[in-house]
Amino acid sequence: MPASNAIMIDREGAATRPRFPLRRSLGSLVRSSEAGLKASHFRRPWLAGGLVAPQLLILLFFFFIPTWKALSLAFVQVDPFGGTMIFVGLDNFTTLFSSPEYRDSAILTLWFTVVQCIATLVVAGLLAFATDNVMRGRAIYKGVILLPYAIAPAISGVLWAFLFNPTVGPLAQMLHELGFAWDPNRRPFDALLLVSVAAIWKHVCYDYIFLVAAFLAVPPSVMEAAAIDGARPVRRFLTVTLPMAAPTIFFLIVMNFVYGLFETFGIIDTVTRGGPAGSTNTLVYKVYQDGFRQLDLGSSAAQSVILMAIAVLFTFLQFRAVERKVNYQV
Amino acid sequence: MVERHIGLSIFCHVVLLIGAAAVCMPLYFAFVAGSLTVGEVQQVPFPLVPGSHFVENTVLAWNEGQFSRLYVNSLIVTIGIVTGKLAVSLIAGFAVTYFRFPFRMTAFWLIFISLMLPVEVRIIPTYEAVADAGGPLRALFDAIGLTGFIADRTGYRLDAALQWNMINSYGGLILPLIASASATFLFRQFFLTVPDELCEAAKLDGAGPLKFFWDVLLPLSRANIAALSIILFLYGWNQYLWPLLFTTEKAMATAMIGLKDLIPVADAQPAWNIAMAASFFVMAPPALVILLMQRWFTKGLVDSSK
Amino acid sequence: MASTYVKSITGLFAAGALLMGATGAHAADRVKIEWWYAISGKLGDTVQQLISDFNKSQDKYEVVGTFKGNYEETMAAMVAAYRVNQQPAILQSAERGFMTMLNSGAVIPVDQLMAKQGYKTDWNDFIKPVAGFYIVNGKPAALPFNSSTPILWYNADAFRAAGFDAPSDTWQGLEKQLYALKEKKVTDCSMALPGDFQWSLIENYSAINNYPFATKANGYAGLDTEFTYNKTGVVGQVARLKKWVDDGVLKIAGQGVAPISLFTSGTCATIINSTASHSGVEADAKFKWSAAVMPHEEGADVRNGTIGGASLWAVKGKSEEVQAGVAAFFNFVAQPDTQEWWSKATGYVPVTNTAYRKMKAEGYFKDHPTREIAIEQLSRGEPTDNSRGFRFGNHNQSTAILIEEIQAVWTGKKTPQEALDNSVKRGNEILRQYEKLHAGK
Repeated sequence: MPASNAIMIDREGAATRPRFPLRRSLGSLVRSSEAGLKASHFRRPWLAGGLVAPQLLILLFFFFIPTWKALSLAFVQVDPFGGTMIFVGLDNFTTLFSSPEYRDSAILTLWFTVVQCIATLVVAGLLAFATDNVMRGRAIYKGVILLPYAIAPAISGVLWAFLFNPTVGPLAQMLHELGFAWDPNRRPFDALLLVSVAAIWKHVCYDYIFLVAAFLAVPPSVMEAAAIDGARPVRRFLTVTLPMAAPTIFFLIVMNFVYGLFETFGIIDTVTRGGPAGSTNTLVYKVYQDGFRQLDLGSSAAQSVILMAIAVLFTFLQFRAVERKVNYQV
Repeated sequence: MVERHIGLSIFCHVVLLIGAAAVCMPLYFAFVAGSLTVGEVQQVPFPLVPGSHFVENTVLAWNEGQFSRLYVNSLIVTIGIVTGKLAVSLIAGFAVTYFRFPFRMTAFWLIFISLMLPVEVRIIPTYEAVADAGGPLRALFDAIGLTGFIADRTGYRLDAALQWNMINSYGGLILPLIASASATFLFRQFFLTVPDELCEAAKLDGAGPLKFFWDVLLPLSRANIAALSIILFLYGWNQYLWPLLFTTEKAMATAMIGLKDLIPVADAQPAWNIAMAASFFVMAPPALVILLMQRWFTKGLVDSSK
Repeated sequence: MASTYVKSITGLFAAGALLMGATGAHAADRVKIEWWYAISGKLGDTVQQLISDFNKSQDKYEVVGTFKGNYEETMAAMVAAYRVNQQPAILQSAERGFMTMLNSGAVIPVDQLMAKQGYKTDWNDFIKPVAGFYIVNGKPAALPFNSSTPILWYNADAFRAAGFDAPSDTWQGLEKQLYALKEKKVTDCSMALPGDFQWSLIENYSAINNYPFATKANGYAGLDTEFTYNKTGVVGQVARLKKWVDDGVLKIAGQGVAPISLFTSGTCATIINSTASHSGVEADAKFKWSAAVMPHEEGADVRNGTIGGASLWAVKGKSEEVQAGVAAFFNFVAQPDTQEWWSKATGYVPVTNTAYRKMKAEGYFKDHPTREIAIEQLSRGEPTDNSRGFRFGNHNQSTAILIEEIQAVWTGKKTPQEALDNSVKRGNEILRQYEKLHAGK
């Protein structure tokens, strides 16, 4: 056994010493904490610094500095060319908070992101489970299911909008024949549904790839042991595969959340343009519209600050709440 | 699998068939659209079977958009992005999970925060960063007086030398897109699942961290690297806004810009057939990557002794 | 006018003569002039043709045109580039962005540029609403380039089948006809609603019927303008459109289709769309079609329509040589020959009266009568304060708000009056913001 058996492995798979568990706080950000650190690790601060430096440097030049420039505009009203600028303090923020459209957009975003996150995971999980359990044709299925990921985003959005266009879309006609009064131009729910389905469709492949990899990584020996114990395939999946895939699932929850919150504006833009009447106008689409389209740099910077704060908060909570339950060392 | 359940197998096949159909359905319509003439593509009801003009439209689209050069650009930029991101994220993920050093968690959160801001908001200042990459350095050196110091002593103008304009260069197209945390996060998750015994064994053997990384961790990460390569290749290949902003010369444009150029706008004739046909050959390299990289999944994953 | 023509020819010869001294001016010696434009596809090809024609016509300058995305993307690229001194020499910008460009401090007004470079351009030759849109202190600040106006396209076969020779020229008359088309089962969709309906069916409607859209002559007389369209016939217009939508007579085009294709495919019998759709309609409509001016309200004081499209701006911060080249290019674009060729190839209106008369004299409009309709609609009568055009700061933003509010009428969430009231309220906030930022300009 390793010499360091004074160190115990706790539920989080991290090394702890028998101590009072009271330090789970923001202080852990600054102090070197044990969260996410391998029990068996190296102590070479200079080497570590060198390894992490390239990413941090690139981020510094191409993320942090531009972000600072962009977000500092939250406190001004500015002409897009930079010629005229007046300081308005927190006006941009108060205007946003007092605007009913913004509040509606925030609630909508919450629903949309959560639904999209769960649905994508479930659909991808089902497909990955099925892929894992078929005897033949695995490669073909994998190839086919991953294809939508290769489509240019601009094209896929247009395809969905077209297919379900109530006047000319073939699938819309099918829905009409089945008796549904499908009209995303006049029924906000239909528009939201369409956008959600399009977003999920595009992102299922992402989750699918990683889940397939995670399920395949379950050692056959463990599965055999479970089978010998009399567990049937579904039960094996639930009690063995899923827990072992937990780190990947946690990764995907966070990434789905980020996708729904930040990267869906392209789809919203081509499928509904935020309509009708703002019913698919998520926060990020508002930022895109105001900042990039309308060039209202002050308001969009303020909106981005709020959006960023929400995202950081939620991710932090996810790390705290969910990651505890993720067992990294099985 | 351990035993065979016919019922389960059938169920899985059904699920996969439905999934595959749902997934491919829009693609099928794109194919149909790409095989019609301009007049036919506007007709209502939309035809459900393909026409006969697919090859013709493809050739037309290729020539109209001058895709040969665009293809090369896209390939160079995308491969640059994939290799850059993989390299940078692998070592960063390694550092953050396998080393104890001050500000370790801060570094992780700093990297992670870069996921939390939509691109469009910072795209204009990022343009400034690309057009004037030396800007922050110049400002820094100016503020601490280094520029003046050197200029007085040797007459060398440091600030003139720090003028790096990366517009219309491959560097300008690649670097801003490497800076993202998703890959680092993934590797962090994966490295945390690697058994500690491996690292202990390496240490006992007297191997340093880099040797451990190269000989043990990398081979283990093959499946994740394969998955990530696919994701990153597609991410890089499908970029539109960054290349649009960062290139002013047609010779440096990417395939995605060429494709967008073919998509009909308000006043023009709705030549959707050309655009859809083009979307297929623009989709070909990513599709190829997907099909090829797939093998790595099955290969590197039969790890009985992880 | 003739003077411009003579001046430019002499200018070209002079330039050419000068260059003859430096024999065989290399392409590499030419002054490069960057132009960012925002139209793609076939229209983009026409732009490239225009550029190469200019480059071939003289030795001194070389215009290099780059497609930078749609109008908004091009504008964003311009803003980004300007901040780091990477801007182009010429920018194509939509009419909606006029105030943004004008007050940016980043442009040289076109009349100043041309005067400085010695070109005598007759600005009065430009078709009134076209020039009027871009006029500041009596002279245009930007060069009108691709201008269009909405006209009523109709399926003549369908109308005949329902017993009508042509569309009525009033909204009331048209309503009867559209309902008849549907009731007689000639078609299921009498009219298609395009995505830019706020331009054709609200703004142009307001101008044609001489209703005020906002105070202070629609913004021309000052930044302290306020929207007033919630108090005019526009309310009735929105109510009328809502009724048509509910009755299935008017179908919303939505996303994923080019609205004009609803017409050319024969699905919808009419559409009010830009005159620039000519090339598409001529090529793809397989039935007898025609076009007419937009209808007006019964008993209204009928005026001209307003324009859409874009103009060319000369951007500051370039060398003298480049500016001279920009002026030369603008001069080339404004030539009647160029205008004629451009209009025929694209379907946009010729922006000068000279070009228009030239085309008329050649009998072009006898062969293509529908192409003249847009010009008729634009040249009808003297523009009033209500029909000259619109001059609002951040017009993009208030337009987006207007569309959003009217969509709430389609979904039934708001009545037309409520929606327009809210749109005016939010729009006025935008105007006040702009006024505050640009006080004293």
